[in-house]
Amino acid sequence: MVIRFLQDWIQYYWVTERTATYRTIHARVRRRRNPVARWYRRRERTLLGIAGVVSFFGLWQIGSMTGLIDPFFFSSPADVVLAGFEEVRLPRFWNDVKVSAVELIIGSLAAFALAVPLGIVIGWYRRVSYTFDPWLNFFNALPRIALIPLVVLWVGLGIEMKIVIVFLGGFFSIIVPTVQGVRTVDRQMLDVARSFRASNIRLFTSLVIPATVPFIVTGVRIAIGRVLIGVILAELYAQTDGVGVMIDKAAAALRSDRLLFGVLLFTLAGIIATEAVGTLERYLQRWRPNLEAEEAL
Amino acid sequence: MAARTSRFAFFDSGLGRRLAGLAAANERVAYGVLGFVGISLLWEVASGTGLIRRSLLSAPSLIWKAAVTDFGSGAIWPHIATSLNEFGLGFLLALVIGIPLGLLIGMFRRVDYFASVLLSGIYATPKVALVPLIILVAGIGLEAKLIVVFLLTIFAVVVSTVSGVHSVAQRHLDLTRSFGASRWLVFRSVVLPSTFPFILTGVRIGAGRALVGVVTAEFLSANEGVGYYISLYGTFLDTSRVMLGIVLLGVFGVAIGEIVRLIEKRFEVWRPEIS
Amino acid sequence: MTSTDLALSARGVRMEYRDRSSDTSLVAVENVDLDVADGEFVSLLGPSGCGKSTFLKIINGLLKATAGEIKLRSVVKGREDAMVFQDSALFPWYSVLDNVAYGLVCAGVPRKEARKRASPFIDLVGLQGFGGKYPYQLSGGMQQRANLARALAVDSAILLMDEPFASLDAQTRELMQSELLRIWNAAKKTVVFVTHQIDEAVYLSDRVIVMAPRPGRIIADIHIDLPRPRQLSIKRSPEFATYENDIWRLIAGHQQATADPVQSA
Repeated sequence: MVIRFLQDWIQYYWVTERTATYRTIHARVRRRRNPVARWYRRRERTLLGIAGVVSFFGLWQIGSMTGLIDPFFFSSPADVVLAGFEEVRLPRFWNDVKVSAVELIIGSLAAFALAVPLGIVIGWYRRVSYTFDPWLNFFNALPRIALIPLVVLWVGLGIEMKIVIVFLGGFFSIIVPTVQGVRTVDRQMLDVARSFRASNIRLFTSLVIPATVPFIVTGVRIAIGRVLIGVILAELYAQTDGVGVMIDKAAAALRSDRLLFGVLLFTLAGIIATEAVGTLERYLQRWRPNLEAEEAL
Repeated sequence: MAARTSRFAFFDSGLGRRLAGLAAANERVAYGVLGFVGISLLWEVASGTGLIRRSLLSAPSLIWKAAVTDFGSGAIWPHIATSLNEFGLGFLLALVIGIPLGLLIGMFRRVDYFASVLLSGIYATPKVALVPLIILVAGIGLEAKLIVVFLLTIFAVVVSTVSGVHSVAQRHLDLTRSFGASRWLVFRSVVLPSTFPFILTGVRIGAGRALVGVVTAEFLSANEGVGYYISLYGTFLDTSRVMLGIVLLGVFGVAIGEIVRLIEKRFEVWRPEIS
Repeated sequence: MTSTDLALSARGVRMEYRDRSSDTSLVAVENVDLDVADGEFVSLLGPSGCGKSTFLKIINGLLKATAGEIKLRSVVKGREDAMVFQDSALFPWYSVLDNVAYGLVCAGVPRKEARKRASPFIDLVGLQGFGGKYPYQLSGGMQQRANLARALAVDSAILLMDEPFASLDAQTRELMQSELLRIWNAAKKTVVFVTHQIDEAVYLSDRVIVMAPRPGRIIADIHIDLPRPRQLSIKRSPEFATYENDIWRLIAGHQQATADPVQSA
């Protein structure tokens, strides 16, 4: 049952009169708001949100058409969409998408598969985590793009290089929060489990891992952004195949509409991935009232 | 672990806790240094015995030598200065504009509704993808890098700040209403202090992204800067210098992160959730 | 009642929440009439959902009532009433002194003077020397004392207290009750105190207003005829027990009579 305040549809106001000694507060019925206003108020949030998006694209389009914004450099929403239609017809485009997707998926999966177990092990043994902390923090704070020339020296300019860059981006983003998550497992719960003579394995599966999950999820969230950036940067450097290269080539060809279409694709990928993680998170944490993982980071 | 803490359980404050804290902190530092030194030694040995090819991974001694050379001759300073300059200007500008903007958006519900869909969308876009476009528009010089740093930082700062304003504890706001505080006073005394930790988080995230932006821009088109340095020596196959550049960037990234974390810790008590 | 020594006078106060879609309404407070004399200590007592906190918030202005009228004795300047919240809601980024001075700052007093005026109240509630500390350094009981000091510093005629000791452990709570009476004696305010604990209400008040839920309304106005000043030991006296029993039976009987198996809202 939803309870809404009476004030929503009948307006009240306070009348305060100061007499010599008393201040009076009383409620009085004012008037009924008209139904249009009522409808608006209920949907205000979505309406304004839509208005915001529409204004943005509208201003962009108008600016581009009137020449206020140089259409050469910034294109226009319409052009980007058209470029999109043009692109999806080309086999080259789908090849690019496939290459980028492969890099993304293999790199991310490898990163996740390695970072989580390693992170848990490192986090569990306090001294081990102390030992590796500086290195992990160093690589996490390092812009991974700086590693590209190095990786190129190792594996050349092919698809392996890009996968490695993607992997590195995801790996460090996930492992650092995981280690932290394992380290901050509630001491009280540990004591309870130990007092019941829980074996180490049971301790792990029933306590440590569920408690660490929010941290891992936070890491995955950060990793999404980093992984996408990794794909773009690696492809920009290697200049072979992929949506990132498509962007660069479009820039060189002064086709900003194609460029922005490529950017749009990455945005979509990011949004989809974020939503997926969000849903997964909600599923895994049905039992949780709130998350302290965000705070801890 | 359990045995250690129980020994000090008798001292509920003061000396016992202080000692335990010191021991723990020292342990952390000790193992950290051990890890650093240990791996460096392993690395050096592996490279010296030929286990790892010098051309691939270089060696600490070689990197050190390259550092001495380039720092000594002064060749590297202009690169560092350029990168710092590009980063610093764009970053500060983004803070000066982004923080008030974030506060505004957070505080006025209607503005928030209007902007939030757009903000999340742009935040989700990997703005590095726009670097080629920016370079196209703004050319090879300082402006392009400034724009990159500015864009990358500002969205992180704004989104974080807005989230911070939204998380002001309702009971604090009730209290201000109960005592009849003016809007300006509420802003000064509740909203700002409450939001501050979130602003710091935004600064930290923004700084990380800005650093990536600077390096990317320098990779793609520049003739100065640490990023340029790395890519240049990459083409020369000078692994030691490439590593040196990487180390510099990493140190810088860690430094910024630590500074922000220190500030965060200093104001930790401001967080509304007192346990 | 027209006597000018009434601090608060409420007539017909009603608070109704209506659900638009299913067209049902929840009456949180129904038709409350209440007079509180100057300097009186009055408790609103009842189980959860009886509207006592709602009524308090209406007096304070945090909620707007659906109907009714409340008269508050004016002071020359500033607010007539000050509220002590259930959770201390001290600002963690302000020192204790700044927190206690906050009410004054809200009223427009410049910070320096506000601090000066707030200082004696810190001593009054027993927090001497803690002015420079921060809330995280204080225990729960001490935080509530600071909370109280803040409301006192505003120097309003009326003090509204919304279950201020609910989050404290039993011993601290008893201590705070006795402290409150001491402070009330010293500060000479009118207090409207909300609680669900019978012994607390009987110990502290001159009058206990018993309320019942669904809809929230007053079912009894009991004058507590125990001598003042009251020590904690009075809680063990037979007269005290009689009051407690009577009130308990009143509430329990009422719950029986209006027992509905269906939970509303």
